[in-house]
Amino acid sequence: MLGLGHVFKLGTLGAAVMAVGLLFQPAASSAQPLRIEITEGVIEPMPFAAPAFVAESAAAQNFAQELSQVVSSDLTGTGLFREIPREAHISQITSFQSPVQFADWKAINAQVLITGAADVNANGQLVVKFRVYDVFSGAEVGQGMQFVGTADGVRRMAHKVADQVYSRITGETGYFDSRVVFVSESGPKDQRAKRLAIMDYDGANLQYLTGSGAIVLAPRFSPDGSRVIYTSYQTGEPRIHVLNVGDVQSRILPAQGGMMSFAPRFAPNGQSLIYSATTGSNTDLFRMDIGSGQITQLTTSPSIETAPSFSPDGSQIVFESDRSGTQQLYIMSTSGGEPRRISFGEGRYGTPVWSPRGDMIAFTKQNAGRFHIGVMRTDGSEERLLTASFLDEGPTWAPNGRVLMFARETQGASGSSALYSVDISGRNLKRVQTPAGGSDPSWGPLQ
Amino acid sequence: MNTGMKISAAGHAALVLFVLFGDLFRPNPDPVEVADVSILSEAEFAALSQPAALPEATVDVEAPPTPEPEPTPEPTPPAPEPEPTPAPTPTPAPEPAPAPEPAPEPVPQPDPVPQPDPVPQVVDPTPPAPAPVIVAPERSTRPVPRPAPRVAAEPVAPQPEDTPVGEEVQQAVTEDATSDTAVEQDPQEATAPEETTTEIVTEAEQPSGSPTASVRPQARPNRPAPAPEPEPAQTETATTTPEPAADPLADAVADAVASALSGGTTTPEPDLPVGPPMTGGEKDALRVAVQRCWVIDVGSQSANVTVVVGMEMEDTGRVVADSIRMVSSSGGAGSAVDTAFRAAQRAILRCQGDGYDLPAEKYAQWKEIEMVFDPSGMRLR
Repeated sequence: MLGLGHVFKLGTLGAAVMAVGLLFQPAASSAQPLRIEITEGVIEPMPFAAPAFVAESAAAQNFAQELSQVVSSDLTGTGLFREIPREAHISQITSFQSPVQFADWKAINAQVLITGAADVNANGQLVVKFRVYDVFSGAEVGQGMQFVGTADGVRRMAHKVADQVYSRITGETGYFDSRVVFVSESGPKDQRAKRLAIMDYDGANLQYLTGSGAIVLAPRFSPDGSRVIYTSYQTGEPRIHVLNVGDVQSRILPAQGGMMSFAPRFAPNGQSLIYSATTGSNTDLFRMDIGSGQITQLTTSPSIETAPSFSPDGSQIVFESDRSGTQQLYIMSTSGGEPRRISFGEGRYGTPVWSPRGDMIAFTKQNAGRFHIGVMRTDGSEERLLTASFLDEGPTWAPNGRVLMFARETQGASGSSALYSVDISGRNLKRVQTPAGGSDPSWGPLQ
Repeated sequence: MNTGMKISAAGHAALVLFVLFGDLFRPNPDPVEVADVSILSEAEFAALSQPAALPEATVDVEAPPTPEPEPTPEPTPPAPEPEPTPAPTPTPAPEPAPAPEPAPEPVPQPDPVPQPDPVPQVVDPTPPAPAPVIVAPERSTRPVPRPAPRVAAEPVAPQPEDTPVGEEVQQAVTEDATSDTAVEQDPQEATAPEETTTEIVTEAEQPSGSPTASVRPQARPNRPAPAPEPEPAQTETATTTPEPAADPLADAVADAVASALSGGTTTPEPDLPVGPPMTGGEKDALRVAVQRCWVIDVGSQSANVTVVVGMEMEDTGRVVADSIRMVSSSGGAGSAVDTAFRAAQRAILRCQGDGYDLPAEKYAQWKEIEMVFDPSGMRLR
């Protein structure tokens, strides 16, 4: 048992220990590394240098030039990179194997250096090699890589190189070697011809998949990109068609008698699809097994439910419904159940699309006479509107979930529709170059 | 009496009282210090100076400590600097300066200084004289010798019977001589006289005292060196702590010190300048310098990742090559973390230029830096 004397002594002892601790505290802390907290940075494109690819044979001369141009175009098109003009280069890459003079690239503030070479092998195939360097750390990012393909696939090979570069620098997969299917529109508004078309993500290599004899709507890529499902009035009423991209052959899917079906979309596994069908004034969601043709009704509400989209794992769907009195977004399980509303803002929400990342949902919002493309979390939080115009609609996600493409229509009788893309940060809004107008884009998977 | 006379009378009366009872004429009570002084006759002085001629004698001094402590009554220390306590009895005189010192033996010719008389004067306690003398002997490493020689020297001189003062001395001497001790001293006399000569020579020529005093300044420069810097002091204290084990309070304090010190396992090198703590402005300058180059891709997964990056710095403010490493991360995994780290690395390397503007006098504090790159405030909501 402690007496008063002990207590006093302990108190004195404690005080002494504390005093000593405090006395030495500065010394101890000074031994720790200096800690600096940085919470603000800059948002600007990263400067990179991409000297012309080295042509290792005369036959590869033209390819080398095109390759480097496409790679640079892909990267700068993201808005995340800025190419340093070749006129500013101090060093010249004359050999793919020669060592890099990092000081020369630092001097022009290039943070990334891309070197490459092209050659045509004995089989007439194009061989493309490239390396990526982090200039300021003086190290190669990843390892050198080589692609071999046919000479007519030079742009695709360039896209693949760009995807690799993008992935190594941003840590995310690229989206350059992908295609977009959309409705190509031509002619005046009241007599507009609509055809199904497919193109590279950047508008190159456009091909028409259907004629202009029938109205086509809402084309959607299958998960593997080999098929396109769309709605066509070819038969006089809206019917769902499936088109094989390889041979451009299509077929009409069976439909329930007396029902108009539209807004189809593939399930992530490609084995089933979900769509909406209208009977009278009621529109509900249905699921169809493509192989067996079996149909399952998912909603039975007297309201209008449409524009369904699967979550990446296929377990949930998001769709629009006016069951609350206004058009809003809802999420429900693929197997059925009570939908959960996720949008609560003012205006009307429609055409929801689940992000390939699974963390966000893009949508079209109409409010106060203007249309917006926006994104929100799957729980409806963190809603952000990325665009605003007379008419923006039909967003579609890039395969990496980083960019959205949508259709924008201008006002007036002479107004036209065109495709645009925007980064999910709201930056880098730009028009996608197409020979004619376009609408209803659907971004296919990375090839 | 008119008023004027009254005033005059009063004034005079006051003056008289002041004189009587005031301190005006009081004798100064301060005591006067009196020092005993012995007077030497010319003969004595001459006698004293003669031995000085024999310089070598001084060398052997070693043996001398002998100045027979014999308590001779006669004070009157002729020589001023008699060392107070030359206690050693004149025992070993015979072996003076053994082998090593050759000179001594031969020199000490007993003849010149036959009488051991000197002895008596030594003892004189009179403080005043010794005081100054003490100083010299202190610092000089040469130990004992000095004191003895002086004492001996005086006694030798007084041999003759010149001055009246000398008479007194003689009496004392005679008494001693008669005593038994005097007889015993005979064998010692040979040494005693030498000492005398030594004494005189030393004062006149030898720089014995002064040179040593001048040496002291040399010690001063050494003072700064021992003063330990804060860093090293820690280790010293740490090592000393284990010794005391008895007192619990001391143990606890020692433990606290040790734990406080051990907290900084990565103690900076002791030679590095520590300087005062880094100011907020200095830290902000570094932060701003780096964040200018920190490019954030707000739309990427890496924008959700906070990374802590460690690095070592050169004293020029540049980052040590290849020292940048990721300490920790949160908010993501895989490629997102790698991307966040590379973005931070690029920011650090890009903006360093010829080196970050950091206070050189505080190098120890920023030799190692950890930067937290937290994009949470900028990423998309």
